[in-house]
Amino acid sequence: MSWLKQLFSRRRVYNDLSDEIREHLEEKIEELVGAGMSRKEAAGAARREFGNATLIENDSRDVWRWPSLEDFLTDIRFGARMLRKNPGFTAVAVLTLALGIGANTALFSVIDAVLLRPLPFHDPGRLVAVHSVDLKDANQGGEISYPSFLDWRTRTRSFEAMSVWSTMGFAYTGGDQPESVPGAMVSANLFSVLGVSPVIGRSFTQTEDNPSSDQLPVILSFEFWQSHFGSDPSVLGRALSLDNQKFSVVGVMPPRFQFPVQRNRVELWITIARDLQGKSALALQRDVSYLQVIARLKTGVQIPQAQSDVLLVQDQLNHQYPETRPRGATINLESEQIAGAMRQVLLILLGAVGFVLLIACANVASLLLARSTVRQREFTVRAALGASRWMIIRQLLTESLLLAMAGGALGLLLAHWATGALVAMTPEGLARTSEIALDFRVLGFAFLVALVTGVLFGLAPAIQASRFDLNRCLGANGRGVSAGRGGVRLRSVLVASQLAIAFVLLTGAGLLLHSFNRLQHVYPGFRADHVLTFLLDVPSDRHPRAQRAIFVQQLLQATRALPGVKSASAIFGLPLSEAQSIFTALEVEGHPVPRSQRPRVAFRIVESEYFHVMGIPLLQGRTFTARDEQGGPPLAIINETLARQMFKGENPVGHRIKPSISFGDSDEAPLREIVGVIADVKSGSIGGKIPPEVYAPQTPVDFIGEMTVVVRTMNDPDALIPAMRSLVSSMDKELPLRQVKTLDQYVSGSISAPRFDALLLGIFAALAFVLTTIGLYGVISYSVVQRTREMGIRIALGAQRGSISRMVVREGVLLTVAGVGAGLLMSLLAVQLLRGLLFGIGATDPATFIAVPLLLMAVALVASYVPARRATRVDPIVALRCD
Amino acid sequence: MTMKKSEQRDLFPGALEMMILRTLKRQPSHGYALVQHIKRTSDDLLQIEEGSLYPALQRLLKEELVKAEWGISATNRRVRIYKLTAAGAKHLERQVSSFEKMLEGITRVLARGES
Repeated sequence: MSWLKQLFSRRRVYNDLSDEIREHLEEKIEELVGAGMSRKEAAGAARREFGNATLIENDSRDVWRWPSLEDFLTDIRFGARMLRKNPGFTAVAVLTLALGIGANTALFSVIDAVLLRPLPFHDPGRLVAVHSVDLKDANQGGEISYPSFLDWRTRTRSFEAMSVWSTMGFAYTGGDQPESVPGAMVSANLFSVLGVSPVIGRSFTQTEDNPSSDQLPVILSFEFWQSHFGSDPSVLGRALSLDNQKFSVVGVMPPRFQFPVQRNRVELWITIARDLQGKSALALQRDVSYLQVIARLKTGVQIPQAQSDVLLVQDQLNHQYPETRPRGATINLESEQIAGAMRQVLLILLGAVGFVLLIACANVASLLLARSTVRQREFTVRAALGASRWMIIRQLLTESLLLAMAGGALGLLLAHWATGALVAMTPEGLARTSEIALDFRVLGFAFLVALVTGVLFGLAPAIQASRFDLNRCLGANGRGVSAGRGGVRLRSVLVASQLAIAFVLLTGAGLLLHSFNRLQHVYPGFRADHVLTFLLDVPSDRHPRAQRAIFVQQLLQATRALPGVKSASAIFGLPLSEAQSIFTALEVEGHPVPRSQRPRVAFRIVESEYFHVMGIPLLQGRTFTARDEQGGPPLAIINETLARQMFKGENPVGHRIKPSISFGDSDEAPLREIVGVIADVKSGSIGGKIPPEVYAPQTPVDFIGEMTVVVRTMNDPDALIPAMRSLVSSMDKELPLRQVKTLDQYVSGSISAPRFDALLLGIFAALAFVLTTIGLYGVISYSVVQRTREMGIRIALGAQRGSISRMVVREGVLLTVAGVGAGLLMSLLAVQLLRGLLFGIGATDPATFIAVPLLLMAVALVASYVPARRATRVDPIVALRCD
Repeated sequence: MTMKKSEQRDLFPGALEMMILRTLKRQPSHGYALVQHIKRTSDDLLQIEEGSLYPALQRLLKEELVKAEWGISATNRRVRIYKLTAAGAKHLERQVSSFEKMLEGITRVLARGES
């Protein structure tokens, strides 16, 4: 008989068996009656002789079963029936778990994409980011100059290969209208460092790092090839016009390939050769640090080893070129580099959301404990019928797992919804967010979490429930008195722990929210509302050098005439934007300092109306005028910080300074006369330090092609975009508008990371808080219900109702004090993790540390008072009568 | 539950099955008749819970050592009559011979121990 046939014929087998056993007993009874017994006596005797018929029938059935699997299925069927019979309990438990599991799953999907999944390159564990660090100014990013990089590459021994990269926007003219296309300039060997080859065509060759009289090569992203070339296989060799230089397509990368791995896509790659063209090319200058380095470690070489290798070489360079500022070097795994500062934040948030799940588990465990007291009678009966303790624990665990799985399924739904919201909320700097998805890894995670959760909250109540004295329970009218007390103690411990955890989360969230609130109220130094901005890269071939500043002025004039425009101006280096900034060494006339000792200042070029449009107040002297823009003696306006640092109370107006930057044909940087001092502006980040800054007027000579136009509007600035586009297009139909954004967007973008941290931790803390309150309320009110008889006796014996309610409230307060005390200690440790994320407040911010305990105590009082009132309304007669 | 355990100690595993097969070899019969026969023949030396017959019968059925059919008994009851199969007969022979060897061995050891 095959197992399949057995499976289908089983019902008949069982029926035969039952019939047979019944017939057997009948036959016996008849025989005994025949021998002179009464029918009733005979029935008893037959049963005694036969043994436990139910058990025997079950044992006989077992012969045909796959024991463990089928027991499991039976348990599940039974469990599902129990859960259906108690819809209220089931709904609360499933919802609680769904919130916990859903929050965890959603956050995991982010962490998985951003931190855990290996980079899509060959052997990503050996890819490292090498940073060049300015020893005098830790705030400078880790960029390096090309000559220094070449020295690193030839003199170090720890790396298989080393490559530079830098992202930039290209004006692409070849399609229907001019377009700004994001791309990267890289070393020719970048793709072999990454271990990825093009799907069509070839990689760059080593010689393509050098400038050539031929067209320079370009490699396209698969997506750009699809969208701009209709996946045309004959794209190789086609010429592409980027920033008015022709490049020749040599390859197309595989689908979804991206480098650098960052939030904004990159659509094409060219080689460093572009920046080596000409006599004063950027990549020839040892002081111009603007390139990032990625390298592949040799097998067996560890990061510290590689770092000392690079440091040694850099030390040689520092001695060899005393004129340049001394630099150091650090190395990080590329994968850690990409997540950057978000790595720590995400791990903290993961911890927090794990705590939320623990609280949810404690709540459900607490519910189960309460219910198991109610179900004591059921267990007792089952035990009396021959169920072993293990069978009861197994049954209860199965019910827990069912709850957990239902919670997990609902949680997945919540996570599906929440992940979308999370992605939209992720801070601007966070890379790889496009990879965030509810895939199989996340599903697996959710399943595992649900499984562990089920055991976690189910085991203690199951063991507790199975521990009872059969005789006593059956005798005592089904009221398991002793078992109940044990459950209450366990539940009290659970609630106190919940309170402690909620305390920690609330403190953390309180700190971050408080800090974010401060950030939000930081005045950036300019009026950010109603300002539209966009970047213009005025090309040099169509607009001769002397004409480019005039082009911008004409554009601004036309803009001011547009309806709805209040004022307009332009700047090189817009605050808080991703526009390029120049940092340069500064010298004050009459105070000679060696070149490598000079302070670094941010250098910006502005059109005369800029300070007016932005609402930046003038502190001393005057602002630039239209006359200053005609040319003439070089001028400068400095910011408050620079005035304070360099002139210390003296009036800077009239002094002359020399930022080491020159334009036009002259190699020597000009001395500039200070005509005014302007208020500080948060230029780098809202929470960051303000650097010393120098503004120069835009003149035909002092002009950098990339200018950001700022337009103050009367109404919604976004409404002006179409008019702006057509205006620019009417003046130069091949000129694209880049980075079209409002100033408000830049301001809110610059605090998007703290907003994300505070919001997420806030949500998790709120969840924890609500769940804990429910837990506390549940424990207190359950203990009141359980002690109804006791209350009745007390009242009957003359206890004041006030003293009864005080007794109940005291129970809640004691629990809360214990929880808050433990939470306070844990918080003092935990907040150290947040230290680096706070702005304007300390990690032990008194406001937070006073508010959180007060809040918890207040809520605990309410949660205890409601059941306490109910306790005082106990009618002694009813209480004493109920079984 | 505890009762069942001490009961099982009286018989070694497979003993009940062997006796069932032997009884069925003599003549096909239904459960009640089987257990009465075993009890009677053993002169009530063996304490057998009547019901314990059924799990054993199910095992034999599953291994196809016996087969069962509903029929009418001598006392005119509807009963399920068990019959030995060829495989069952062979199995019985093997079991009996190995049991006899075992018994002989045990007897020898016990006899030696006495002297």
